[in-house]
Amino acid sequence: MIELSQVSKRFGDETAVDAISLKVPNGKFCALVGTSGCGKSTTLRMINRLIERSSGDIILDGQAIEAYDPVKLRRRIGYVIQSTGLFPHWTVARNIGLVPRLLKWSAEDVQARVEELMGLLGLPIEEFAHKYPHQLSGGQAQRVGVARALAADPDILLMDEPFGALDPITRVKLQDELAGLQARLHKTVVFVTHDMDEALKLADHLVVMRDGQIVQQGTPLALLQRPKDPFVESLLGGLERGLKQAALSRVKDHMSSLGPTLPSQYRIAADCSLRQALSVMLRDHTDRLTVVDQHDVPIGELSLRRVVKEAQLEKGATRDA
Amino acid sequence: MSLLDALPAPRLGRGSYPNVVLVSLSAVMLAAIWGLDAVSMAPNRIVQGTGAGVMEALGWPGALLASLLVLALGALAFRPNPTNYSAALGVVVLILALMPFGLMVAGHFLIDPALPQARLGIGAGYWVVLFVLLLCLIELRLRLALTRLWPMLILAGVGLLWWLCAWLWLGDLALVQEYRARDQQLIRAVGQHVVLVSVAVSISVVLGTLLALLMRRYARLQKGAFAILNFLQTIPSLALFGLLLAPLAWLSANVPVLAKLGVSGIGNTPALIALVAYSLLPMVRNTYIALEEVSADTLEAASAMGMRASQRFWQVRLPLALPVLLEGVRITTVQAIGLTAVAALIGAGGLGTFIFQGLGQAAMDMVLLGALPILILALLVDAALGALAEALRPGGVQ
Repeated sequence: MIELSQVSKRFGDETAVDAISLKVPNGKFCALVGTSGCGKSTTLRMINRLIERSSGDIILDGQAIEAYDPVKLRRRIGYVIQSTGLFPHWTVARNIGLVPRLLKWSAEDVQARVEELMGLLGLPIEEFAHKYPHQLSGGQAQRVGVARALAADPDILLMDEPFGALDPITRVKLQDELAGLQARLHKTVVFVTHDMDEALKLADHLVVMRDGQIVQQGTPLALLQRPKDPFVESLLGGLERGLKQAALSRVKDHMSSLGPTLPSQYRIAADCSLRQALSVMLRDHTDRLTVVDQHDVPIGELSLRRVVKEAQLEKGATRDA
Repeated sequence: MSLLDALPAPRLGRGSYPNVVLVSLSAVMLAAIWGLDAVSMAPNRIVQGTGAGVMEALGWPGALLASLLVLALGALAFRPNPTNYSAALGVVVLILALMPFGLMVAGHFLIDPALPQARLGIGAGYWVVLFVLLLCLIELRLRLALTRLWPMLILAGVGLLWWLCAWLWLGDLALVQEYRARDQQLIRAVGQHVVLVSVAVSISVVLGTLLALLMRRYARLQKGAFAILNFLQTIPSLALFGLLLAPLAWLSANVPVLAKLGVSGIGNTPALIALVAYSLLPMVRNTYIALEEVSADTLEAASAMGMRASQRFWQVRLPLALPVLLEGVRITTVQAIGLTAVAALIGAGGLGTFIFQGLGQAAMDMVLLGALPILILALLVDAALGALAEALRPGGVQ
């Protein structure tokens, strides 16, 4: 559990972060979103005390962060940055094993952990263990960065625009892998990004910041349905908000069972999002899709009417809540 | 990268550009062979020698061989490809290896055995060809993408051959005669030179690193220290030696302990002080810059992973700064090797002794005898420290 209450940071006369309060429960993924200079990175770096805050409290697992030695605190918190910050004079294996070595693990334990993490992040050991950072592609380097952050199995992971410098295809791939990792590892993650799609895709809890203040926070769905002001709305994609919301729902949660009518010749996988289903309908000029499982066996169907109605239902549901 | 990339090259045949650099260098060598004196001949040590062209020195077979080899080099450069470049490298090495034998032939033709004092000087043409061949070697190293080690090995081999020839058969050569007359003296001078440079550089490495570290800690010190070091660098070396003379002489006269330690107005003490003073600026500047220019992201990552300040310095900042830091040691050492020659004027010994004695006696070959080892020492240090810095770069490249 990470808890920030009334936290501010002033650099001289400039207020970078202005009295923000925020809670990230254990195992949850929190994304800080905003334009450049809105104070989101500063907020992140106050948590591992790379920057000391000017006022307010930051509480980690029930203890104020001043109670921890900053060095020991940082060894308990994974940290990933956009430029990777890998040590250019160390091999991939040595980079990943850094924090366990700092914690004085035995050489065998470090070795075993490095191999485990390289497996977890899809970096074949024979191919990558002895490479140097400059020999890696951007995506590979960032995988190493994530592996290094996870090395001592920290409960908390801080990520500062980790995929910001990658090409779109690699970025989406790494986002998917991070989502998969999070589903297995349940870390408490604070993730800074200016890419709203990335935030919507990964976060349980979304925090929109502007000029050092929190404008709005809540689940992605809640924000999409009720953006507080035009700034949040434009950040969420303006008119495309409906599509982004559809992207949050899975086809399998909204399909109806196979009816007596002839199934549609157009198919969609149950794991796809409603947004993808809409796209397929537009592409193939149809208002009905057959939903198939991973073995291509029909298991239900989805109609355009139903997609639209589901959106209405959800709107009603949040209104009631 | 090579010099060639800066020049527009005419297109010849199918996708083959002649290597303009090597072709022009060959032309220069050809011009030097035929246009300049190959050697000079003097009846004794003091008299100005009379020059002799390539036909007189080598006879027509030798002149023809030399010209053909140079032409072959130029021809190979017209169709550059790896095979031709390797062949060109072979030709360059062959010319280098044949050059001492050319001197032997010249000695045979030109030196009258009846004159025991007669001696052979190396002429402008010979020096130009030697210099241009070294340029060819650099160009070929870049073209063939060889490591620094290869030209060093080649030059070491060629140097050994030259040494052997000089030792066994080149008694007529003025340089060899000068050496034979004072070989013990020369070896001692090389020793003094090396010791002076090593001590001065060691002191400045320690002092320079300490100063750079202090400057990083106390920002105010930085401006003042750089101002003083820059000022020291502008004092002419001879003037600095002179300036140190009086205060050191006074100290040695009034403080017996210092006198016992060998401090005096002339000799090693002022030489060392001046050498260290000159060496500090490049040393401090490079050390400071090397430590400062380590990427801020990398250092922040080191902190964020939970490294303590000392771990961060020893495990990240210093190793990443080391190649640039060594560059500073290299510049400092090469500079000190040159400056130490001047220190001979205040009685510190070293190879400068030969240069200044030679100048005093108008014996140019004696000057050469002092200058050549300085040149070789500087090249050796340059190559060794350069290779070390290269080897310390992470993964070979950065």
